[in-house]
Amino acid sequence: MNSFPMRTIRICAWAVVLWMSVTVAAQQTATTKIVSAANAFLATLDAKQRKSVMYAYDDETQRAKWSNFPTGFVPRGGISLRDMTPAQRKAAMTLVAATLSHRGLEKVEQIMEGDEVNKIQEAKNQGNRPQGGPPQGAQQGPPQDGQQGPPPGGRGGRPPFGGGGLSADLFGKDLYYISILGTPSAKTPWMLQFGGHHLALNITIAGDQGILTPTLTGAQPALYTLDGKTVRPLGQESDKGFALLQALDDTQKKQAVLSYKLADLVLGPGQDGKTIVPEGLKATAMNEKQKAMLLDVISEWAGIVHESAASARMAQLKADLNETWFSWSGPTTVTPGNNITAYYRIQGPHLVIEYAPQTLGGDASLHVHTMYRDPTNDYGRGLAKQ
Amino acid sequence: MKRKLITVAAWFLCLGGVASAHRLDECLQAMLVTVEQDHVHTSMRLIPGVAVSAAVIADIDRNGDGVLSMGERQAYAERVLGDWSLTVDGNRLTPRLVSMEFPQIDQIREGLGEIHLEFTADLPKGGRNRRLILENHRQDPNTAYMVNALVPHDNNIQIVGQKRNELQSFYQLDYIQTDVAAPTGWWDQVGGTGFASLFRLGVRHIAEGTDHLLFLLALLLPAPLLVVGSRWSGVVSARQSLLRILKIVTAFTVGHSITLALAAMGVVSVPSRPIEVLIAVSILVSAFHALRPLFPGREAGIAAFFGLIHGLAFAATLSELGLGQWERVVGILAFNLGIETMQLFVVAVTLPSLLLLSRTRAYPAFRVGGALFAGVAAVGWIAERLFGLHGPVDLWVNAVAHHALWVAGALFLVSLVCWRSWNIDRRAATVALDPCGYPA
Repeated sequence: MNSFPMRTIRICAWAVVLWMSVTVAAQQTATTKIVSAANAFLATLDAKQRKSVMYAYDDETQRAKWSNFPTGFVPRGGISLRDMTPAQRKAAMTLVAATLSHRGLEKVEQIMEGDEVNKIQEAKNQGNRPQGGPPQGAQQGPPQDGQQGPPPGGRGGRPPFGGGGLSADLFGKDLYYISILGTPSAKTPWMLQFGGHHLALNITIAGDQGILTPTLTGAQPALYTLDGKTVRPLGQESDKGFALLQALDDTQKKQAVLSYKLADLVLGPGQDGKTIVPEGLKATAMNEKQKAMLLDVISEWAGIVHESAASARMAQLKADLNETWFSWSGPTTVTPGNNITAYYRIQGPHLVIEYAPQTLGGDASLHVHTMYRDPTNDYGRGLAKQ
Repeated sequence: MKRKLITVAAWFLCLGGVASAHRLDECLQAMLVTVEQDHVHTSMRLIPGVAVSAAVIADIDRNGDGVLSMGERQAYAERVLGDWSLTVDGNRLTPRLVSMEFPQIDQIREGLGEIHLEFTADLPKGGRNRRLILENHRQDPNTAYMVNALVPHDNNIQIVGQKRNELQSFYQLDYIQTDVAAPTGWWDQVGGTGFASLFRLGVRHIAEGTDHLLFLLALLLPAPLLVVGSRWSGVVSARQSLLRILKIVTAFTVGHSITLALAAMGVVSVPSRPIEVLIAVSILVSAFHALRPLFPGREAGIAAFFGLIHGLAFAATLSELGLGQWERVVGILAFNLGIETMQLFVVAVTLPSLLLLSRTRAYPAFRVGGALFAGVAAVGWIAERLFGLHGPVDLWVNAVAHHALWVAGALFLVSLVCWRSWNIDRRAATVALDPCGYPA
């Protein structure tokens, strides 16, 4: 009689141990996969390249050296895909892919592809139009001291005006830079940066955690055709944000829609460590369906990072939901199939998301900057405090 | 050198293409406001777009030598600062520049330069509820503004509201200083900024609270007139008119002072929405009375009665401030004095026109016009406050109110002209009056 429950307990205990080790193994898989991809990438580099890619983990200057601007205007650290051999490039992209989810990687690739489209368009414009003006001044990296030379590992041996014409120095899917802060490790924190025009991924890997904040995504053109297919790199962000707005009743809308214009990101590049007072509609005033939609909008950013890190992050943001705010500024309509031309912001205790179409000059639905932050844990800074 | 070449290349390239999609023609002024116990700190980023960068550089580099000297930077920063006004509870603050950071001139030229200015202003001691207003007076069409408050470090400061105009050139921040101690003596209060700012609040409340004024003015419209049958007809003597006006204004003051005091002390408490509706009704009643005498000879009583209602609305404004018990007594006094001052000012400005016009043939038209204006405004307000229907009422009442002094001046001129040309000798027609000024 006694042996039956004993056996059940033993089986259960084994099951628990097995389940835990599977879970732990799965978690380790993500990080260890990233670490081995990082080591594999570093192994493809020569000593000089490696020196250009590697920074100290506490290098605050490099940490904050990201921007929405083309790399020709605001140089990034690390080395660009352009300056790599095909094997190195493949290893670099394998590393980036290991840190991201499937749809995260897709977004990144579409943003980079968009910059290639941009390059071709600009090269055409270059031939046709001699007039206009240089780019906007808003949103850039940290204050530049004007004494930075060309980016390390820069454009060695390449004629400055060669390739695809002048625009080749500003745009294109190969002008994305990779850098590593610290030593890739499954235990101690380190950081991977990957970015260029309209992209800044700052991924802190700390044990089984993967922290994607702060990250900037952007797109220009935010709608293009590739191989006969229409691509909107940040189309889901636009569509889901708009769907949430549509799901609000008049009273909720009145609170969510701000009475003033927002020309740009409030907490864009260079604005680390700042928390603004939230505004708009608090999720406590939303019904369950709307809350689920809000969480779904958030997942467009929180889900860029690899799956196990994303699900931990989503759990945190779900727990915060009642303290989360949604605000909107600009047109409350959209041309079907296009991106919104309105700004929106989602803010919670551990979250700031901004979606900011660039409204002046040209079509605002074709040019967008977005920001994803955790004011308590940008660059994994919250980890140190724990 | 290569970097420079690339930069130049970028320049030409951008002249060609990027223009189509990038913002060029604006300067972005982004401000972050931090409120502390005894000061406000504002950090400003100025980012001139390429199309305006040459103008911005010229504005900084006044001697045009291609160098941004310390003196030029300082002067520019002061000019930028001078475009903004900063007030707390209606008191103007004087922010001082505490730091500035300028990028290289080339970077500004390329539209990549960010100018950082930080300034701080000391906050005078104040009540629990405070209102900070940051306003740009230059309103440069080439500038986009962004103003936000940072979450305060100090847990005793709670931000309760932010308001902006569409361009964000006007920014209002309401916050509570939760640890404000009750004032020690009444002299501190009377002599302190609290008294002055509450007095100003009272003045502003009447100046901006057009509904209170409209009620009073509509009630004053028929004051110089006689009732014959069920119509306004004839005119009483100037002395009688003055006496009546004095009575009406005093009655209104007594009425609203009573309820203001009671409500502000927490003795009575009435929800604000029905009060707002009743105020609109009071305007409708006095407008109708100006058309056809409803309660001739009892205007003072009516003024006192509706004064009681208006007082409850005044109290709502005061209670929003969350004053302490003793602060409240002094506050009511200061606030009410502000109200009376503004009210007397308005009456003093309109009285001469009223007396002059009432002695001309133009007066019936003026009286009817004024009554209709007040009546339509009242109906609009009732619809708005009762059913949430938003009409253009506020828009055009405010349009008149914003030019109040011009309107009053024009009215006076018109009445002078009318009086000169159409002066009717009413003396012959003056009827024997009872002490209240009505036909015996």
